[in-house]
Amino acid sequence: MAELLEVQNLSVSFETPKGEVQAVRDVSFTLHTGEVLAVVGESGSGKSALCKAVMKLLPASGRIRAGGIYINGTDISRFGERKMHKLRGKLFSMVFQDPMTSLNPTMTIGAQIAEAVRIHDPKITRRQLHDRVVELMQLVEIDRAQERMHLYPHHFSGGMRQRCVMAIALAGNPTILFADEPTTALDVTIQAQILGLFRKIQQDLGMATVFVTHDLNVAAEAADRVAVMYAGKIVEIGTTEEIFRDPRHPYTWGLLRSLPVYGRGQETLYTIPGLPPALLHPPKGDAFACRNPYALAIDYEEEPPLFRVSDTHYAATWLLDERAPKITPPVRKTTDLPLYGRSVRKEQEILLDVQHLTHVFPLDKKTTFKAVDDVSFQIKRGEIFGLIGESGSGKSTVARLIMNLYRPNDGMAAAGKRQFHGQDTQGRSRLHSAGRILYRGIDITDPALFRQYKKMLQTTRQIIFQDSNSSLNQRMKVWDIITEPLRIQHIVPPRGSLRAEAKFQMHYVGLDEAYLNRYPTELSGGQRQRVAIARALSMEPELLVADEPVASLDVSIQAQIVNLFRHLQQEHGFSFLFIAHDLAMVEFLCDRVGVMYQGKLVETGETRELFANPRHPYTKALLSAMPKSGSRFGEMLA
Amino acid sequence: MAVRMENGFKIVGIRTLPREEQVRPRGRWDKGSGRVFTGAVLVLTTIILGCFLCELFVARDPGYLDLRNYCVLPGREFLFGTDTMGRDIFAMIWYGGRISLTIGIAATMLSTILGVVFGALSGCAPAWADALMMRLVEILLSIPSLMAVILIQAILGEANVFSISFVLGITGWMSIAKVVRSEVRQIRECEYVIASRCMGGGFFHILWKHLTPNFVSSIMFMVVMNIRSAIVAESTLSFMGIGLPVEVITWGSMLSLSEDAMLANAWWIILFPGAFLVVALLCFTGLGNHLRRNFNRGQSNL
Amino acid sequence: MTGNRWGRIQYLGEKLLILIVSLLILSAAVFYISRLAPGDPLVSYYGDRVEKMSLTEREWAEDRLGLNEPLAVQYACWLENALRGDFGISYKYKLPVVTVIRERIGNTLLLGGIGFVLIFVLALLLGIACACHEGRLLDSVICGIGTVSSCIPEFWVSLLLVLVFSVNLKWLPGSGAHTAGQTGDLGDRVRHLILPLTAVVLGHLWYYAYMVRNRILEEVGADYVLLAKAKGLTRGRVLFRHCLQNVLPSYLSIMAISAPHILGGTYIIEMVFSYPGLGTLTYESARYHDYNLLMILCMLTGIIVMLCDLAVQMVCKRGTEKGAWP
Repeated sequence: MAELLEVQNLSVSFETPKGEVQAVRDVSFTLHTGEVLAVVGESGSGKSALCKAVMKLLPASGRIRAGGIYINGTDISRFGERKMHKLRGKLFSMVFQDPMTSLNPTMTIGAQIAEAVRIHDPKITRRQLHDRVVELMQLVEIDRAQERMHLYPHHFSGGMRQRCVMAIALAGNPTILFADEPTTALDVTIQAQILGLFRKIQQDLGMATVFVTHDLNVAAEAADRVAVMYAGKIVEIGTTEEIFRDPRHPYTWGLLRSLPVYGRGQETLYTIPGLPPALLHPPKGDAFACRNPYALAIDYEEEPPLFRVSDTHYAATWLLDERAPKITPPVRKTTDLPLYGRSVRKEQEILLDVQHLTHVFPLDKKTTFKAVDDVSFQIKRGEIFGLIGESGSGKSTVARLIMNLYRPNDGMAAAGKRQFHGQDTQGRSRLHSAGRILYRGIDITDPALFRQYKKMLQTTRQIIFQDSNSSLNQRMKVWDIITEPLRIQHIVPPRGSLRAEAKFQMHYVGLDEAYLNRYPTELSGGQRQRVAIARALSMEPELLVADEPVASLDVSIQAQIVNLFRHLQQEHGFSFLFIAHDLAMVEFLCDRVGVMYQGKLVETGETRELFANPRHPYTKALLSAMPKSGSRFGEMLA
Repeated sequence: MAVRMENGFKIVGIRTLPREEQVRPRGRWDKGSGRVFTGAVLVLTTIILGCFLCELFVARDPGYLDLRNYCVLPGREFLFGTDTMGRDIFAMIWYGGRISLTIGIAATMLSTILGVVFGALSGCAPAWADALMMRLVEILLSIPSLMAVILIQAILGEANVFSISFVLGITGWMSIAKVVRSEVRQIRECEYVIASRCMGGGFFHILWKHLTPNFVSSIMFMVVMNIRSAIVAESTLSFMGIGLPVEVITWGSMLSLSEDAMLANAWWIILFPGAFLVVALLCFTGLGNHLRRNFNRGQSNL
Repeated sequence: MTGNRWGRIQYLGEKLLILIVSLLILSAAVFYISRLAPGDPLVSYYGDRVEKMSLTEREWAEDRLGLNEPLAVQYACWLENALRGDFGISYKYKLPVVTVIRERIGNTLLLGGIGFVLIFVLALLLGIACACHEGRLLDSVICGIGTVSSCIPEFWVSLLLVLVFSVNLKWLPGSGAHTAGQTGDLGDRVRHLILPLTAVVLGHLWYYAYMVRNRILEEVGADYVLLAKAKGLTRGRVLFRHCLQNVLPSYLSIMAISAPHILGGTYIIEMVFSYPGLGTLTYESARYHDYNLLMILCMLTGIIVMLCDLAVQMVCKRGTEKGAWP
């Protein structure tokens, strides 16, 4: 019997100004009716290109260089656009990563779903169409579908939009559904909901699903089989059980080990050394060899074929060759070990004291939005304080208030009132704050005091942003960026010249000196974030605020950066406010944690205590979205 | 081979591969655009040098009215022929270009300064002032520029090189102001500017280190295009007879004789100066397009 | 529903008020500025005879034209008359300015209007054609021709057209709006329009076509296009149903702003073709200090500019309501 989908030796490449990038190299796999295959890999591993190639949705610069795509035995890899658009939607359909951009902003949700229904059933009556749209919206659990079908996408939140995208994808009753990182752009709790919905619908409708993700946790929750991709190739494929319980490829070991769950009881998270190769000129032999501590000499010479482990389990590594030495997988199963935590210092002086902080943004003349609502917490010297919450919960606003980024208006505050009015950074609207922020005992919300201690405040507090792309000026060279604060404050570089200072800091954060004269665009995301850290550290700060510093990075790079933070914090002893939505990273890194929900700080406590016994319902919901021993993923690891 | 393979199965661990020579993104210097760009620069340099150094190779006096030789066909003696008043067109083109280019550049300097100042002010101003200033710019933009130029020129009276540059300058700054303003707004919200402020970077530090380098590149296109449109406007004015007087030779005033030329069916009087004008404008456009080329746009998904 | 209608009436009233106030300010500004200009308005009325006039004769003449009153009084006087529909007489043509303009405004609107519609449609078609063939031969050819044609000054194109098609080939008439004595002949009228129209369209077409092309290309790169294709729509349907619909509002608003420019662009073309329109009139009135004529021409332009601006605001408002521009 022919498989539902069979991909044979597929290669996909993209034309870029630099040359031809081989995004997918010689990939083969099969998909059976009704099964869920998870494709796991870091960004740039070609997993997204693989899906788009099967659906023939590659952009103009991309093309299928070789290979066949067989649907029920027919090769569609040579099909033209005319034949393809009849297959799309009906045979296979796709859900995309970013729900904020994948809906047409000027059409109502209902119209967009109806369009998808009608394209496969042109003779449908108006009444039936309406009913079908409502049915689809109910299928993806959008309530009040009758009213909501007349709304535009901008009326919906990310999670709701992703549901709409799913409704559109399901409109033609597809046999195969491709889901390209459908939960990545969403908040943790929403992710869990959408993932649950996916599984429910998949079971109800019984369609085959290819689930692309970078998150092993998601893969374990959702998939029957898992394929691990690295540098455009499938390096290991097998049932979920096999991949998680008996991984064979060193890259899979590395991925599993770098999960924070495996970091329990250790001082640092495991990280895969180095960076993924550029696929412009793939290296000779095994692409993973230069990051693989178990690399064999032959790995640098010849590409390994897919070795058979069992009927369903294959891995592409020379370690499985009979001539190779036998190695016990280094993946330790240590879920029950206590979390690594430092002894909390009790006697320490309080560095930052936030008292009843409230911040209101006016939306228009009448309505206002309370971004921060009566938030109080303290950070002691040398402490790492984590602030968790979903997007829009006000964590970034707190960070910006602590850094005095919303300028208070002098008049009101000087009059002795603790309310002040002012303008936000864009000068767009008036806004209001109340409360006090004591830094070293100085109320920095008071403009007079702020001015008095300006220099001290500017040198001892530093901030790191989420998007390393926009937090570095692309027209400045790396050394110029790192030494910018020194130049602003007219500090004589302690190591002679500015360049020497930049060199020192780069060495400190683990960057090669060769990047001294590069521009930020020539660096990778992780490297750019290191530059941003080096810039902040060049002032030897006492308080470092990091606003989602790892959110936009790949898992393995995230681990590298979090390790770096831990290491640097131990060396420097600065206090650290770490803002994140990833619970695992916070659990690993922080001494104490605060949970924010809709502008309120709903719970604070020592990390170990809070993760063990959450009190607030929202914290409980957050933690239940995390992999732990009760879940499928947890079982797999046990 | 087989022996080597046997040795191959030994753990050697991580080896650093020879580092790949990092190819700097070629980006804006890609081939097609690059060739047009080089061509445009070469031709433009020739024209500009020719116009400003024309004494060296043009023997005839462009203003000399050789009344015996009027409307002479292009030939060996008069390379591009003579006009209806017997002036040598070849000489006139080079001398005339000098004034046309000067006006273009002078007007653009004025409009760039005005545009940058106004745009930067608007970009830094509070919301209501910004809205007001942008509204003003939009209204000014929608006034037909030719009409405004005619009006202002009428007020200033007799035209000379300065007054024409002035008029073209103060009617051409709006688009630059718009670009500068949106650029300033955008960069102000950038995280690197916020980070710089946290470190205590003052207004001038941010202006110099962050704002200027970023918007200079984006207004270069507008600046080049402004030179182009100033030259067009000058020639149009001169052609209509409200610009510089006929005795002052520019590409525009040469063309204002076209009605007579048409009667005499002397095509060269219209064709040569016009062709020079168009080639110069084309070069400016090529230059401008090259500066603008947008590589950030995503690929077509269609 | 009634509340909505009331709101709309209020909105329109507000805009109308702004329009009237702006017109008042504009008229005052033009009035003062035009009188600041050096030059003798009597020249345009009396021609060369002015030089031979004695002082008393001059004073009498100025008195007759109301030129020796203080500026504020002159303006008040003009305003009062204007409100009654009397815009004064043209010094040069010695006719009421309304009569002078009435004869010519039709011609200009015909040329500008047809030109505008042609540019609007052709730019859209060319833009779509280029966007669909991005980077391929058709695109590069159209882009190449477009770039060159956009670089040619309008008056020179007009000259070349006259030179080639009228003087040398003698296919089409090169001047006027119609042959003398054949006012009613439609075919004659059309033949006189062809060359000026070509010049108008050539002058502006490329700018807008290129804009449409780039906007579509931006739109086509958006993620929702992928989703639309994934649900099984054909390329054409995605392009027309999704991309073009999102491009159109901004295109409409830009075209609305551009209407005065295209109309203004016809002025110079009218001169080359000796086409009896407002273009020649504007130029003469500014040059010969024909104050009343200048005033009404400026006011007309002002009204067109503001109406277009109003149209743009309406389009934008609708767009915001629909969520196109959140």
